[in-house]
Amino acid sequence: MRAKEADFTGQVVRDGVTLGYEVYGSGDTTVLLMPTWTIIHSRFWKFQIPYLARHYRVITYDGPGNGRSDRITDPVRYRSDEYAADAIAVLDECGVDHVIAVGLSRGASYASVLARNHPERVSGVVLIGAALAIAPPPPERAGIAEHFSKSYPPNPQGWDKYNLAYWHDNYEDFVRFFMGKVFSEPFSTKAFDDSVGWGLETGPHILEAEAANGEGLAADEVLASIECPVLVIHGTDDQIISPEVGRRAAEITGGALISLEGSGHMPLAKDPVRVNYALREFIESVAP
Amino acid sequence: MRAHEPDRTGVIERDGTEIYYEVHGSGDQTLMLIPPSPITHSRIYKAQIPFLARTNRVVTFDGRGNGRSGRPNQVDEHTRSENIDDILAVLDETESTTSVLVAHCHANWWAVEFASRHPDRVDGLVAIEPGVPYVGLGHPHWSEASATFDDHLDDPSDWSLFNREVISNQHRKWIEFFFDAQLVEPYSTKQFEDAVGWALESTGDVLVAGEEGIEVDSPEREELVKQCREISCPVLVIHGTRDVCQAIDKGRALAELTRGELVELEESGHLALARDPVMVNRAIGDFVERRVKQKMKTTTWTRGLDRPKRALYVSSPIGLGHARRDIAVAKELKKLQPDLHVDWLAQDPVTRVLEAEGETIHPASEWLASESAHFVDRTTEHNLHAFQALREMDEILVNNFMIFQEVIEDGHYDLVIADEAWDIDHFWHENPELKRGAHVWFTDFVGYLPMPSGGEREAFVAADYNAEMIAHIERFPRIRDQALFVGAPDDIVPETFGMDLPKIRDWTEQHFEFPGYITGFTPPDPADVPGIREELGFGPDEQVAVVTVGGSGVGRALLERIIEAYPLAKRHVPGLRMIVVAGPRIDPNSLPAHEGLEVVGYVPRLYRQLSVCDLAIVQGGLTTTMELTAARRPFIYFPLEDHFEQNFHVRHRLDRYGAGRHMEFASSDAEAIADAISSEIGKQVDYGHVETDGAAKAAARIAKLV
Repeated sequence: MRAKEADFTGQVVRDGVTLGYEVYGSGDTTVLLMPTWTIIHSRFWKFQIPYLARHYRVITYDGPGNGRSDRITDPVRYRSDEYAADAIAVLDECGVDHVIAVGLSRGASYASVLARNHPERVSGVVLIGAALAIAPPPPERAGIAEHFSKSYPPNPQGWDKYNLAYWHDNYEDFVRFFMGKVFSEPFSTKAFDDSVGWGLETGPHILEAEAANGEGLAADEVLASIECPVLVIHGTDDQIISPEVGRRAAEITGGALISLEGSGHMPLAKDPVRVNYALREFIESVAP
Repeated sequence: MRAHEPDRTGVIERDGTEIYYEVHGSGDQTLMLIPPSPITHSRIYKAQIPFLARTNRVVTFDGRGNGRSGRPNQVDEHTRSENIDDILAVLDETESTTSVLVAHCHANWWAVEFASRHPDRVDGLVAIEPGVPYVGLGHPHWSEASATFDDHLDDPSDWSLFNREVISNQHRKWIEFFFDAQLVEPYSTKQFEDAVGWALESTGDVLVAGEEGIEVDSPEREELVKQCREISCPVLVIHGTRDVCQAIDKGRALAELTRGELVELEESGHLALARDPVMVNRAIGDFVERRVKQKMKTTTWTRGLDRPKRALYVSSPIGLGHARRDIAVAKELKKLQPDLHVDWLAQDPVTRVLEAEGETIHPASEWLASESAHFVDRTTEHNLHAFQALREMDEILVNNFMIFQEVIEDGHYDLVIADEAWDIDHFWHENPELKRGAHVWFTDFVGYLPMPSGGEREAFVAADYNAEMIAHIERFPRIRDQALFVGAPDDIVPETFGMDLPKIRDWTEQHFEFPGYITGFTPPDPADVPGIREELGFGPDEQVAVVTVGGSGVGRALLERIIEAYPLAKRHVPGLRMIVVAGPRIDPNSLPAHEGLEVVGYVPRLYRQLSVCDLAIVQGGLTTTMELTAARRPFIYFPLEDHFEQNFHVRHRLDRYGAGRHMEFASSDAEAIADAISSEIGKQVDYGHVETDGAAKAAARIAKLV
């Protein structure tokens, strides 16, 4: 059973791609919980939705490739501009004028581009564990770009598994490896099992399409163009995206930064109470 | 002593009326605190100013007719325009281009009109218990009283005291009725005395002129409502639901018209800013940060299991006695919890002792207002009215609590150890939702006891304070996780908390644990005494008397009288050697000299001299007298006059140990002191034994909490 069922579940079709969305709660303020890397789908917001929906209208949707959305293999559909256009399509479908957009990891990129492309539709942006190329990745991830498309070594270890061929050969092991890195906090078995399960609802061909999107986003310029208030949340023990990215993002946007000492890449699952309060406080300050 | 002295004061003159203003603190954001004059003046904000001035620039002034401003007494000198122009003049004089207006009661009418006339000068409005005409429904007792304001009344009482003749001729009667009616909260004696005192700095004629002046050219309802609606800056309204002056409906209506935020204080009255200062301060501070400054900031939150174990130790800064026992407890605690990090929130002179011991002092310590300086300030000759001094320390306690609370909220502390840190214990009971971390409360006495010199009023007020403390503890047993009485049940005075209140001993035994007395040092083994005496240059057969009054700078009168007794005592005790320790704040050269008498300044590790002397002559403080008791030295002690703790609590404890000879300063002339010296010096004592394991026992109880 879910802690809160959606008040409305629907689908929107944009350019022939069907996207599943959900609406929870009601209120003058709307919070859009954006999709992230399509390895997981909108259920990753499960600890935020019931709390936020008590105070606001909350909209979630699945990006292309996972959840209740089409499993598209056209790489172009995985660019941030396209995610932003999807978001607008969902908002239009729901009759919502403007939102506070919250993005995790790659979702931070989608939320930032949404705010840049449609400033009149976004009154606040929250970037959590933001995957934005504005600071170097953690050292052990540095070689990924170079070896991603090559053959992987026999008996691959660690980030060796972030490899296209390996995805196809041993997708589940990759997902398990990756989620292990996401949840660097001790005692994370449930969060880990959840995310692995969502990961197995899609497959390597979808991740392959996403990886081929050819997007070379000038993230610093996108951030600098955001006009609305920004909140950045970043774990100091984030193994996927270095905390330095969070610091830079706050600096560029002039936003507030909440640094979570000891937290990993997905604090919304491991530190839900602190994250929920942070979201509430920010939303209240933007839309009192 | 004030918790925060103004950084700048000045007087401006407008049409012959002087207006006194103050500027506190600095910063980009100015807050203008407007007092509702002439019934009161800027001191009404005494609990807000030190807190707000820490992060803002605070400007305030005494409105015309009270405080250090002029006393115009004509109606046309008290119009709204005059008051609004005063606000503008003070803002101009202090170069405050824009500011957040903070107003109380009817001063909000001026604030609203000011915001309407000068919108470009106002960043925000904090309306505390606002009284703006036509905005919300007022209490009927005002309109009824206004109807007979100009009449001659044969037997006015209650609200009909709001009458020109009564206010003019029986000013105090009206003022006392009014503030008694406003302070609906129990245990409000200090707030009542303050408010009445400020009101009586003005006169009835001025107050009448003020009451009439504010109504001159009163606008129509529509115009006032329009003014409120047109306020474009952020607005916060704070209102007590039991406000007898301005009905809560008036606050609700103003918030609605101005689209402002509303903080309702359930069960609070009209003087919430004085009676619930912590809540009011936090509401104002939060509003200014969030809505006016809108500053983006970086915060850090640490996952629970990633937090190191931390304790914040808050040691009473009044005198040095507590510092030594607290260090002893902290050392024992670290033995039991080696990974516990202890920070100290402490003030001079305690910080000096802590620094010497290598303890960590929290940097916020420097923001604390000095409780020690306040007590020195309140001491005259050999007199310290400790209870009244504690009451008058109220604004220092609010200031220091606000700092403590910030430290505790930012610092993820597991434990707070408060050794007679009155602010913490009191305000956590007053604001129980603010408690963070486990709370260990230490004290060496329970119960305020009235001094006979204070008469009936003091007996009433002391009982009222005790009743509030009892109500706190009984309503919120969760606030003190551990309450430790430094001593044994037998050390508790055989008194009651006051009329109709429990016996202190019974109640304390139910609510405290007793780790025993905690000494800051271990008394020397009798076998080591000759060696220490030799080291200190005391001859084996020499009769050495050591005289000390502590390090606070008070006690000159006692030193002088003992020095006067010295030659007389020497007649009985030939070869008497007397060492007078003047302490760091009394110049030794300013005291009379005699042969055989040594006057010295500060003596480090004075307890060593005291522990091997042949006689000590001291004040009545607990730490020094108990050190002498533990070291089994003969001593004479003179409690400070009117000091309830020294005269009752400490004296009772010393009597239990059979220790020391009590003397009264007022009735002991030099001859009597000389006689006492000769009969006490070198005497064999049979004091009760003072335990040395109190710190370890206390630490064992505290260690369970982390």
